[in-house]
Amino acid sequence: MQEQQGFFEFIRQQSGKLLEQTLVHIGLTFISLIIALAIGVTLGILISRKRWLAGPVLGVAGVLQTIPSIALLGFMIPLLGIGPKPAIVALLLYALLPIIRNTFTGITGVNPAVLEAARGMGMSDAQILRKVQLPLAMPVLLAGIRIATVINVGVATLAAYIAAGGLGEFIFGGIALNNTNMILAGAIPAALLALLFDGALSLLQRVNYRKMRLAVWILPLALVALSSFYLLPATYNGKILAGFTPEFMGRMDGNLGLRKVYNLNLRTLVINDMVMYKAAYEKKLDVISGSTTDGRVKAFDLAALEDDKHIFPPYYAAPIVNEQTLARFPELEPVLNSLSGKINDQVMTALNYQVDYLKQSPEAVAKDFLTKAGLYKSPRQGSKGSITIGSKIFGDGYILAYMYKMLVEGNTDLNVVTKTGLGGTKICFEALRNGQLDMYPEYTGTGLLVILQATKNTVDSLAQQPDKVYHYVQQQFAAQYHIQWMQPIGFNNTYALMMRRSDTAALHIHSISALKSYLTAH
Amino acid sequence: MKAGNTMIKVDQLSKYFTPLKKVVDAISFEVNKGETLVLLGTSGSGKTTTLRMLNRLIEPSSGTITINGQNILQQPADALRRQMGYVLQETGLFPHYTIAENIAIVPGLLQWPKQQTAARTEELLHKLQLPPHEYSEAYPRELSGGQQQRVGLARALAANPPILLMDEPFGALDPITRGMVRKDFMALDELHQKTIVLVTHDVNEAFIMGTQICLMHEGRIAQIGSPATLLFNPANDFVRNFFSEQRLQLELRIMRIHDTWQWLPSAAPGNNAQPLQPGTSYWDALDQLNTGGAFFVQYQGETKSVTSEALFTALNQYKAQKQ
Repeated sequence: MQEQQGFFEFIRQQSGKLLEQTLVHIGLTFISLIIALAIGVTLGILISRKRWLAGPVLGVAGVLQTIPSIALLGFMIPLLGIGPKPAIVALLLYALLPIIRNTFTGITGVNPAVLEAARGMGMSDAQILRKVQLPLAMPVLLAGIRIATVINVGVATLAAYIAAGGLGEFIFGGIALNNTNMILAGAIPAALLALLFDGALSLLQRVNYRKMRLAVWILPLALVALSSFYLLPATYNGKILAGFTPEFMGRMDGNLGLRKVYNLNLRTLVINDMVMYKAAYEKKLDVISGSTTDGRVKAFDLAALEDDKHIFPPYYAAPIVNEQTLARFPELEPVLNSLSGKINDQVMTALNYQVDYLKQSPEAVAKDFLTKAGLYKSPRQGSKGSITIGSKIFGDGYILAYMYKMLVEGNTDLNVVTKTGLGGTKICFEALRNGQLDMYPEYTGTGLLVILQATKNTVDSLAQQPDKVYHYVQQQFAAQYHIQWMQPIGFNNTYALMMRRSDTAALHIHSISALKSYLTAH
Repeated sequence: MKAGNTMIKVDQLSKYFTPLKKVVDAISFEVNKGETLVLLGTSGSGKTTTLRMLNRLIEPSSGTITINGQNILQQPADALRRQMGYVLQETGLFPHYTIAENIAIVPGLLQWPKQQTAARTEELLHKLQLPPHEYSEAYPRELSGGQQQRVGLARALAANPPILLMDEPFGALDPITRGMVRKDFMALDELHQKTIVLVTHDVNEAFIMGTQICLMHEGRIAQIGSPATLLFNPANDFVRNFFSEQRLQLELRIMRIHDTWQWLPSAAPGNNAQPLQPGTSYWDALDQLNTGGAFFVQYQGETKSVTSEALFTALNQYKAQKQ
């Protein structure tokens, strides 16, 4: 494996992207904060007047806060789709509790003698609210805004998961590729933003009453200004919007190769695999980084662009196994090879379709297939030992992991623990090397480019030939890592740029080069 | 509409928070223009509730309140309150307003021109011994308790309300500060035209400030009348016992030298004797006598010498005649 580049080197290379992500991040944080303030302060005032509402309102806001953020974002997708809208709604729901609670606490904490004096002098309820209650509640309210801001800066990193952008793009990409520099490039600015805003608001909290009145005007203006950052990156928008998975963003057989080999610079959003295809179908994205055996390619009528400059090698899937595991349990090898030749591209696509689109459980789909192929046997409940099977976080991985679990448990006396949904290639691979996984399904092209990081000469010498690629990675993995490639399963799940079929026809874009020409021309 | 001299007329006023427990039970009284009515009583006697019904911080359960001939229950509460100064024991100054801004609150609500408000604020700060250059830009927390209470008084007086409602205005102060603030307050010239309703549980204060004292007990009026009436002609044992502990001191406070003129011995003033005013209270006269020296009083063409013995003898004769 070649040395990773230095952190500052990475920052320098990615400075444009980093700035854009930071601006989007600030924008997301503050748009949601403004809306949360409008709703939260209103509710806080309401429950300070109608005390019986305080319990229910604070209760609901409290429950919202306990929903795991990634789940809340997930709930938003069916309601609001992907992009900034669901992200902003999720963020504002998180910001609500501290704002409502602190408005309420601040207002109810005002000295009753002051209120009595205000009423006794003939101030109306509105005047008391504006001139007495809100100004006196301001320090407590500001503390709530501080908490909400810090929460929002943190949770906004998850917005990248649903294509809303922000510093999470680097963090997710970095996790998927096990690239520490990339993670830090997202995490450090996010932490700095949190510290910066927390510090600024703490200064505001400490100013005296006279300046506080000024602050009451400055704060909303500052919030609006910061919110507008979200719009800045959109101003250099191209016609075509791409959505790539975090892993694709950082791979040579991915966005890096698109830039280097095709000189293709698309405006890209980072998005997770689960919602990417639907987003393309719904015209929220124009180009995506699909994988050809995904069931939704067909369902959503997407077309793969021809890779005319060959940045995507063949990706034949095969289980890869730690040599130590094979030595301990030699009976594994024939079992793992029993799937070889049983699943071609069409079969895999059909299986994925059942999971991705028809929402059947991967376990049931795996069992169904094995039963029809005559490979399924009831688990022997053996006690000889236990192995761990991993998989990456997309369709093929889940189904294959369950198939191997059933095969191993039906044909040997071993127990199988599955760890599915691992965040990316590097995570699976490192776990396999460290013995935390005993095997997982991998693709030859991924092994070649992501793990072996083969040079261009090596890739060219293999000339896109599946057999050559397979033998090369098999040899190199055994030599470098003591990891064995089992026989290929039979299908080729290649990465591809995909567009809506209707667009490819209308715009005459059938290859990546054609897409490049189209972008240059428009 | 009856103009008359009556400023505040309360008729059959009641307040109950639960149907069984009447906090104020069908009380009636009148306060004339320029008079000070003191609502006196123990805790829970209903005196504060009565006061707070006058500016409708508490809505009466039944009865009527008429101010200047108008039923206040038919007026907007906010506008009513702007016509009445309100002083609280805990001042209730706005902590986020400067002293000047605190005083200017009601003029602000009444939309006075800025200059007029500023001039009035400055005038009041001077009158209440708070030099404006030192205090107008300060915040309440920078002032002592006595100074805060002075600001509270200035705030209540700012818009020249004809009526002042005062809820234990000096109650939170230590005895020495209390005396000083009260003295400065009572010395204000503008107070002569004010109708004041004051709540206190301090009997001394009631006798110092009250034109009339309304002694309340368990939501009812035990007796209402001038200080002398309550002291020398108590309506019942409750009233008598209420003042028994401080009776002598109270008597000395309300008795003035001219009240007992007929029982004081005539005498030519000695060589070094100093004059006292006939309206001097016994309390103050005895205070002077304690400093030593001889005093005389000239009243209705007669000259009488004043000694403590002569004063007490005259007082006893006055009381004997009253009963």
